[in-house]
Amino acid sequence: MIKKINLIFVAILFIAQQGMGQEWLVPEDQKTLKNPTEYNLSNVKKGKDLYLTNCKSCHGDAGKNNGLPLVPPPPDVTSDIMQANTEGELFYKITNGRGGMPQFGSTISEDDRWRLVNYIRNYNPANEPVLVEAPPQKAKLLASVNETEKKVEVFAEVEGNDGKFLVLANASVSISAKKAFGNLPIGEVLTNAEGRAEYAIPKDLIGDEQGLVNVVVSLGEGFVTDPVILDAAKVGQPKQVPKLIKKEVLWSTNENVQTWLLLSYLGAVGGAWLAIAYVVFQIFKIWRVGKQQE
Amino acid sequence: MEKSKSPEESRKLLDKITFDLTRSIVKRDELTNFWYFFLIMFAAVGLWGWFIQIRDGLGVTGMRDYVSWGMYIANFVFFVAVSLIGFLLSSALHLLKINWAKPISRVAEQVAIAAVALAGIIIVMDMGRPDRLLNVFIHGRFASPILWDVTVVTTYLTISILLFYIPLIPDLALLRDKGTDDIPKWKMKVYTLLALGWKGSAEQYKLVYHAMRILMLLILPVGLSIHTVTSWLFAATLRSGWDTTILGPYFVAGAFVAGAAAVVIVMYAYRQRYNLKDYFEDLHFDYMGKLLVFVCLVYLYFNINEFLVPAYKMKTAEGIHLRNLFTGNFSVMFWLAQTFGLILPILLMLCKYFRKPLPLTIISVFVLIASWVKRYIIVIPTLEHPFLPVQNVPDHFKHYSPTSIEVMITLFSFMAALLIITVLAKMFPVITIWEYAEDKGIEKEIISEPKN
Repeated sequence: MIKKINLIFVAILFIAQQGMGQEWLVPEDQKTLKNPTEYNLSNVKKGKDLYLTNCKSCHGDAGKNNGLPLVPPPPDVTSDIMQANTEGELFYKITNGRGGMPQFGSTISEDDRWRLVNYIRNYNPANEPVLVEAPPQKAKLLASVNETEKKVEVFAEVEGNDGKFLVLANASVSISAKKAFGNLPIGEVLTNAEGRAEYAIPKDLIGDEQGLVNVVVSLGEGFVTDPVILDAAKVGQPKQVPKLIKKEVLWSTNENVQTWLLLSYLGAVGGAWLAIAYVVFQIFKIWRVGKQQE
Repeated sequence: MEKSKSPEESRKLLDKITFDLTRSIVKRDELTNFWYFFLIMFAAVGLWGWFIQIRDGLGVTGMRDYVSWGMYIANFVFFVAVSLIGFLLSSALHLLKINWAKPISRVAEQVAIAAVALAGIIIVMDMGRPDRLLNVFIHGRFASPILWDVTVVTTYLTISILLFYIPLIPDLALLRDKGTDDIPKWKMKVYTLLALGWKGSAEQYKLVYHAMRILMLLILPVGLSIHTVTSWLFAATLRSGWDTTILGPYFVAGAFVAGAAAVVIVMYAYRQRYNLKDYFEDLHFDYMGKLLVFVCLVYLYFNINEFLVPAYKMKTAEGIHLRNLFTGNFSVMFWLAQTFGLILPILLMLCKYFRKPLPLTIISVFVLIASWVKRYIIVIPTLEHPFLPVQNVPDHFKHYSPTSIEVMITLFSFMAALLIITVLAKMFPVITIWEYAEDKGIEKEIISEPKN
């Protein structure tokens, strides 16, 4: 264990040395590349999702300066160091990486890398931010399952400024199924003007042995509400569980014990105990003979 | 069989034989009392250990998730091994009409009964919940070697007791009729009861011979199964060190070594204590030494197969196991057991001098201790190397060492086994009188005639 820690330490030092004290030079032609994707909400949102899965572990949360304490330190997305890059430079650095910063050229598609650039640009003071993290609103969520039509019916309300609950329109409601190790997302649906939504559950959704599914309905980010859990809704396909010991196999249950094994066992044990019983009968005979001779 | 003697001579000789062979029953001195006290005290200490184990659970033992079979199972295998000598001496040699083994057969049966009874008891002591013992029979699986083992141990115990009892019946009648006054009253009552009204008629002898013959034939497959099935408890798994086809015969061969050594020790004890030099003669020790060296050679042959073949290949898991035995944690035990339990005894016992009573007994003590150690290193090293790589396992899961409770309970099993042998020797003649007398040329009629 100590060996491993040492190895990681040496590796970090080695990587850090490569990155230290040098400018990160980007070829001139790459510097001036134009971002082919549009700077809009959808692209920035996708960029954020990518950021959360690929970058956050080192760079930390946007604006919180809580990146990992590495050398050189991974800068915050809102920082001047980060924002001083041109879009082409950001794209080049994400693509190729250097030292401790991995290269994402082979793991993230070109469009998605540009979307990441869009997300970083959302925090550029020169840009109008399209993704604004508003304080979460209190909401109410009601949901029920229509088992015959295999639908989930949702009604959502949100707390207005005056403390009264208003119909929540055009909000994204996510539907998932509760599994042993977390929730499996099934789909999303938008509420209509009346705050209602209907979601048709896919026909091939697999439930438990009886086809029962625990459906979890929750509102997206930005709302404070508990998810609605609809227990044991009969909306899925029954799960096929193969019976592993239904055949005659060794180590099987007694109901499925191998015939030859059972017969050998009973034959051997029965034979031995019959012989023992016969011998005990001989002892009885010895006693009887002795009695007769008296 | 010697030539028939005149009735007068026969009566005199029979009286002498009976007198000599009842000495164990009559003799009771300071040493007897001390021996009983010694056995019962240590057995009681062991029982106290068992009480603690039942009260606090199996956590008081050194057994953890990896090594779930510890000293108890090694002990169990040892006792099963020792018990197998009953099958060899009192049945196989008897059926082969090898006459020198006849006076030893009762000693062999005593050892067999004591050992197999303790094998059963030690398994119960290994259970965390002994009150659930019946579940083995109620819910046992016919496909499980554990159920086979329980069955075969019970069957072997029953047959051993019967094979001890049936040749004893004429002796009991003899003691009932000719017993001297110094035999305690209650013992005489037991003899009268157990003698089943024996008259010594030809018909009764015929029944005894018939029953003995059936038992001797029956004990052959059952005796072989008891140790083969015990080996299957190990060999039916995929673990390195156990997963070999040779394990059944390997165990049986090892069992004869342990059992023969135990019989030699008990024989020597009777010879010295009860002054039976004319009965357990130098000749018997010489033959027992030859038998022991023979079974040791067979066992050595199996040992070479068991270790040389996998050591030649050194498959990954097998290699770890073998290195552990040859040069690792268990190397001291392994080489001591092989040297002092097998190689040196073979070399020594090939010389006539070392087959004399005292040297042979000393060698047998070493062989017996080594065979216990051998069982220990059959059971534990394999369990310390499970196949699956499991991470973050506490260190005490990976290394087993028996706790004092386990040592106490193991001590109990030895004391209880010796106690059973002692009680049997104190209760009944250690040699079958009527068979011995007949071999000396005394007629059956004289043996069964009532006291003048």
